Amino acid sequence: MGNMSATLDEIWRGRIFYLFVLPFAALTIVFGVWPILLSIQVSFTASGTALRPTPTYVGLANYVSVFGDPIFLASLTRTLIYTTLSVGANLAFALGFAILLDSALIKRGNLFFRLAIFLPVVTPDVAGYVVWRWLYDRSFGALNAFLKMLGLPAFSGLSSADTAMISLLIAELWHHAGFYMIIFLANLAIRNRALEEAAHIDGATTWQRWRYVILPQLRPALVINTVYALIQFLKTFTVVVVMTKGGPNDQTNFVSYYAYQLFDQGRYGEATAMATILFGIVIVMSMSAYVIGERGANR
Amino acid sequence: MGAEFAKTKPGVTVRSLSFPTDQWFGRVISAINTNTAPDLIFNNYERVIRIETQTNKIMDLKAALAAVGDKGFLGEDDLRVATFKGKQIIIPIQRVQMALGVRKSWLDKHGGKFPDTWEEVKTLAAAFRDKDPDGNGQADTFGMALQAAKPRDLIHMLDLFTFGSGLRHTLIDPDGKITIDQPAHAQVLEEFLKTYSTYKFVAPDTINHSFGEMYQVIEGGRGGMFRVGDWNVRKWDGASVLNGDFVSGPWPKFAADRPNAVVIGGMRGIAVPENSPTKALAVEFAQFMLSKAAQQASLENVGAAVRKDLDVSKLSERSQYFAKAEHRLVAYDFPESIHSFYPELEAAFHRKLLSGIANPPADWKAFIAETAKEMRDLAAKLKG
Repeated sequence: MGNMSATLDEIWRGRIFYLFVLPFAALTIVFGVWPILLSIQVSFTASGTALRPTPTYVGLANYVSVFGDPIFLASLTRTLIYTTLSVGANLAFALGFAILLDSALIKRGNLFFRLAIFLPVVTPDVAGYVVWRWLYDRSFGALNAFLKMLGLPAFSGLSSADTAMISLLIAELWHHAGFYMIIFLANLAIRNRALEEAAHIDGATTWQRWRYVILPQLRPALVINTVYALIQFLKTFTVVVVMTKGGPNDQTNFVSYYAYQLFDQGRYGEATAMATILFGIVIVMSMSAYVIGERGANR
Repeated sequence: MGAEFAKTKPGVTVRSLSFPTDQWFGRVISAINTNTAPDLIFNNYERVIRIETQTNKIMDLKAALAAVGDKGFLGEDDLRVATFKGKQIIIPIQRVQMALGVRKSWLDKHGGKFPDTWEEVKTLAAAFRDKDPDGNGQADTFGMALQAAKPRDLIHMLDLFTFGSGLRHTLIDPDGKITIDQPAHAQVLEEFLKTYSTYKFVAPDTINHSFGEMYQVIEGGRGGMFRVGDWNVRKWDGASVLNGDFVSGPWPKFAADRPNAVVIGGMRGIAVPENSPTKALAVEFAQFMLSKAAQQASLENVGAAVRKDLDVSKLSERSQYFAKAEHRLVAYDFPESIHSFYPELEAAFHRKLLSGIANPPADWKAFIAETAKEMRDLAAKLKG
């Protein structure tokens, strides 16, 4: 009783805060949480009745079907490979550029380079990917025209199963890396430079200063970028829709797009089961990355 | 058309709302299921099937059609592609015709004869690819503009080749038998797959092309032969698009004894939900859409209708080709209306065909036999 009274007292004291938060909390629940719960609910229904007022519930049948589907398993494997490669490439590229722009090496044109790398982030993704599709085009794309001019063999790009995934990765790197770079740059700007000077006086080499003094201070940016990139690339969708539609030969058929294809076929139960599985993976992986990062910080 | 109807019904306003197809499904299904249904639904037959499957609330319009006196222009195929599980789910108002189109200026440079047989199409396609038909001095043209990326993209293209050559089923017949390895079907399928691969008649990126990209190849002046839908003509007659530089005809013959045709790829029609707020008036509107006035408006605005007694004099020569419908017409078989598992089977078929296009096999006949076996196994599993 005492606890309840204390809680109510606390709420009353913060009533103004709660009043301001209430509309946003309500919006989050209605437009954020509720659709997720509905989607999970649909994953337990028979597709043919999924959108009816009284759907037929089939328990875990859709999940059993999804896990028994070799195309889904291949798609999941491909999604995980693509995510791993993309997270690694984006963070490495962003960190490299952030370090370069933070250093004294690029004094002239520093702002230009920052803008040039960040500009794709604010470019509408669909427009950007359409241009990339044209760049890669085998018959009139600028990339192959350039390779031809140099006397080099043509790049198959999106038209070959062997190069489609890497082609998407490059396009997405162009679009996203600027965002991660800005986070790294912000973190670099607020680091304690006195520690570097102390390490320098103590005789640490450039590499040692980076590895043992600067990099640990970049942990917050590394954690947030890793978590954000994991979420981003596990859900890869737009680039596939615009550039490859999952092809060629399923080589870019990631889970989000495969689920979308099933929606197109009216297989709502299995599609939402896939979406739920992906949602679970995103939660587990991003939480794990966060916990690992935080553990390291507390060591 | 709404305005025409309103003239006969003082005080009635017909207001239409359009949505992109993917949103249209969700909105219509949820509206019908929550008893906030629209009075009428207008779309392609196969899309209305999905609405009926998910709601079970599309009205049977048999009696409504029977009450229409002037309907002799509707053929057996027209009515077949308006019926689902014994229920007439739409009043058919626009026949969707799809012909083979050829760039006229390119064709004129290469003999001027519209190709009739598959061999003639191949010869022409090779010339369009290799002989710089647009005269810009660059090797940037292709024999054909097709699409492949999504299941419906590729199978739709195969449908055109199949039905256009006089065959009646692309993958599966009404009894559930897989047809692709029957000799006549296998011949069409093999040539179709070679068009994308061995023959190199299409742009190298076609494997990722959907409608948008296919239209870019056509309207960008790089494809010599392509699909022309009756709804395309108005736009392609435009000065900034093709400026009428195309000629339409039936799909090519694959066998001398099997006549070729223009394909009826669908039927657009009016459906009435059982819980339509003004059902009687909605049915009246659906019946009105078969009247000469409404059909004339449909022809002039969309380029498609079902009546054959309309005034076509104001239409371009290209539009008249479809409006007169004097050529032989063969309709799709719409297997999804018979086999509920068809979309899943089609997706697997698409996946298999794309694997062949991506890595062309040395022996296409063996590939087709193997595909047929896989489709039979999958169909049996899905039926079970």
